[in-house]
Amino acid sequence: MFQKPAHIEQQNSSDEQHSRQHDDVETVVGPSVHVEGDFSSEGNILVKGVVSGNVKTSKLFTSEKGSRVLASVKASNAVVSGAIKGDVKIDERLELTKSAQVLGDIECGVLVVEAGALIKGKVVMKGIEIEDPKAEKKGLMRGMVKDEEKKEKNLL
Amino acid sequence: MYVYLYDNYLRNKKFESTIKDIETRLTDFEIAGKIIRLQNFTNTQAVIEEEIKRGATVIVIVGNDETFGRVLSRGAACKALFGFLPVGTENSIAGVLGIPVGEEACDVLSQRRKVKLDIGWISNRNRYFISQLHIPSSDITVEYDEKFKVYGRHNKMELVVCNLQPFVWAEKGKESFVVHPQDGKLEAFLRPMSGRGMFKDKFEEPSLFPFEEMKITGSKPFPVEADGTVTKETEIIIKLAKNRIEMIVGKERAF
Repeated sequence: MFQKPAHIEQQNSSDEQHSRQHDDVETVVGPSVHVEGDFSSEGNILVKGVVSGNVKTSKLFTSEKGSRVLASVKASNAVVSGAIKGDVKIDERLELTKSAQVLGDIECGVLVVEAGALIKGKVVMKGIEIEDPKAEKKGLMRGMVKDEEKKEKNLL
Repeated sequence: MYVYLYDNYLRNKKFESTIKDIETRLTDFEIAGKIIRLQNFTNTQAVIEEEIKRGATVIVIVGNDETFGRVLSRGAACKALFGFLPVGTENSIAGVLGIPVGEEACDVLSQRRKVKLDIGWISNRNRYFISQLHIPSSDITVEYDEKFKVYGRHNKMELVVCNLQPFVWAEKGKESFVVHPQDGKLEAFLRPMSGRGMFKDKFEEPSLFPFEEMKITGSKPFPVEADGTVTKETEIIIKLAKNRIEMIVGKERAF
């Protein structure tokens, strides 16, 4: 008779989920907000607006579709759906969704690129074990030049 | 020795029985003490300092969110252990501190679970704010930790700095944020104004920035509401006062 109605319990649990969701995101740059200057956080960063300055976090960096970051980004993990004009350095996993645009070099551990994402820059990933043949050739060429130099010196 | 600071509204007959129950429970726990009734213009800092000189060890605020903010905005300067007995409605801070409203709060007080809390400090006004600081939509620029500036696309922005009181953005229903008083940072919510409606201003999605120091400047004087007091400023600097107050809290606290 005096039991709590089921819909109130459901509402409470959804409220808890909501608050937990906001707990995960510590810094939010809203869609009509412009941030100017270097901006770092020890928590997650969610960008929906414009950031003109370096962004640094030790956790997750997320940029939404329509957002713009006009400097370098450093983070542990990242999910990019907006535009970044600058270098992106991610320690672990970088995910580029179909609306993502990156104009700059990328350095990451794991790269996930969805069809439609645009990149203009160098992509460097850690852990590669194959030797670079171009580097080998360059090394040989340098060696040959050194030998020729030695011969010339001996002749003189 | 315990000193109890009663808010003026508790004289109302509606609260008579609750106050009686509380006083009985406090006597049972042997923590009953001196009662001081606060008036609207009572200088709480002077009252607390005087009572500490007389040997008070615990200052207990009896009232609601407004009482809590009013007493601690000045009283936080005093080195004392604070307790809180919430009575009546408008008691959202009590929930964050894990203190039940009414008679059951005496159990929490008797258990003396002490925690140090961070609060906000308005440096150019020489006062603390405990629960919330609010700037209604005004032409302001915000600079965080002397590192980055935040502007709205449209000039006007509304700003709320939360400490103990949860921020509730009522426009979109039940979007509530849980505030952590011990995380070593204050949280600032910014809502840029998008235009004017028929009856009220329209706002865009809020931004959230945790910070330790924030400078708010305006070309014109803007209103600042902190713990129920409204002032007009052209520049304010808000800093985090880490571990400033020692408080008795409940087991069910939200941090």
